[in-house]
Amino acid sequence: MEEPRMPEAAAADKTTGGEFEPKIVAFLCNWCSYAGADLAGISRIQYPPSIRVIRVPCSGRVDPFYILKALQNGADGVLVSGCHPGDCHYLTGNYVARRRFAVLNDLLEFAGIDPGRVSFSWVSAAEGERFAEVVRDVTEKVRQLGPNKKLLKEPIA
Amino acid sequence: MSREDQLRKRAKELLAKKEVVLVLGYRAGKRPGSATPAFVTRPEDADGLIFDDRCGINLAAYLPRVKHRGRIGIVAKGCDSRSIVALLKEKQVDRGQLVILGVGCEGVKDNGRLSDSCTTCAYPNPVLCDEMIGEKVAEREPAPDPLADFEKLTPNQRWQALMDDVSRCIRCYACRQVCPNCYCPTCFVDANNPQWVGKTTAGSDNIMFHLMRAMHMAGRCVECGTCSRGCPMGIDLMKFNRKVAKVVKERFGAVAGMNPDEPPALAAFDPNDKQEFIR
Repeated sequence: MEEPRMPEAAAADKTTGGEFEPKIVAFLCNWCSYAGADLAGISRIQYPPSIRVIRVPCSGRVDPFYILKALQNGADGVLVSGCHPGDCHYLTGNYVARRRFAVLNDLLEFAGIDPGRVSFSWVSAAEGERFAEVVRDVTEKVRQLGPNKKLLKEPIA
Repeated sequence: MSREDQLRKRAKELLAKKEVVLVLGYRAGKRPGSATPAFVTRPEDADGLIFDDRCGINLAAYLPRVKHRGRIGIVAKGCDSRSIVALLKEKQVDRGQLVILGVGCEGVKDNGRLSDSCTTCAYPNPVLCDEMIGEKVAEREPAPDPLADFEKLTPNQRWQALMDDVSRCIRCYACRQVCPNCYCPTCFVDANNPQWVGKTTAGSDNIMFHLMRAMHMAGRCVECGTCSRGCPMGIDLMKFNRKVAKVVKERFGAVAGMNPDEPPALAAFDPNDKQEFIR
């Protein structure tokens, strides 16, 4: 199915050969996933330039609102990543976050928002290759889904 | 002595002995067949108290607003008592300042019919009370999962159905005003720095409001249905509430408003919580 493209997606055509290039907002926890992204960078591991990183102190800092708000304001996908369970810098932040994300995940599925639009992962500071893998995977999933239209707030013309 | 007479007598006693400064109950509303909350402070006014299937408003919603007055008597059916437990869990009210007058409930009326939320009610009797007024009512068999049909639809059909429903929302926030869980001094819909929810009634802003409202209800909503009954546009708010309650029950084995000593489900965790959706 041919999806109408947004201007920015059209601008990205040069580099991606006409394919839709999703915009993904990534909430990365300062202590693990952000450092994991850093490791991917200094190791020169290649991954798609689709993510816009927002550094948060802990995955427990990520209010479900941030995720929906990103989708409403034009993100095609959202990735939330934190420390592996048991490794939280604040001991239990990601455990509490996990319950919240579980409810959000099921609620979005219930509301008919495509699974894959919002992804969750655990990436440690030592997993640069894994971080790149997650981003490749999430980007591919969102690319398959096409531009996000369901929660998007249309700008007033 | 009828149950209403017992209720009036007991309320009168409590007020006359100054055991409580206020009895929260119901009195007949101005519109025939309606009831309205009664804030009884004088023993002689207790004669106006009623309790029957008109009394659908969840009285626990008023506790955070009147708790500064002192010791309070409150009439509580099953769902109200669970809301009181939810408030106790969140330390919004002291157990010691409440005299809970429990009443069994056969279901309340919504526009002349049995309220939708009452069809799935599993707790018609109070789960927490100081004294029962009248007899307990028989436990009922709750209707089977009311979401089953909806969940069988395709994702796009579900999205469309929800959008059709919430597009009628006029954002009057009546659902919030009547909800016992909604005691925040500044609600997220009123915050303007940052402004979490757009103020328009466009589809996107409306569904954002309803999804976030549902998220805030997760692990806390006791499914009393007072929001659905309060909605002037007849939006099926219980669909969201039931879904989050179902998720919380299936995933975490928790039911809201049962045990005041347990924290709300989303304020707690189990290291072994399922995480099949996280890679």
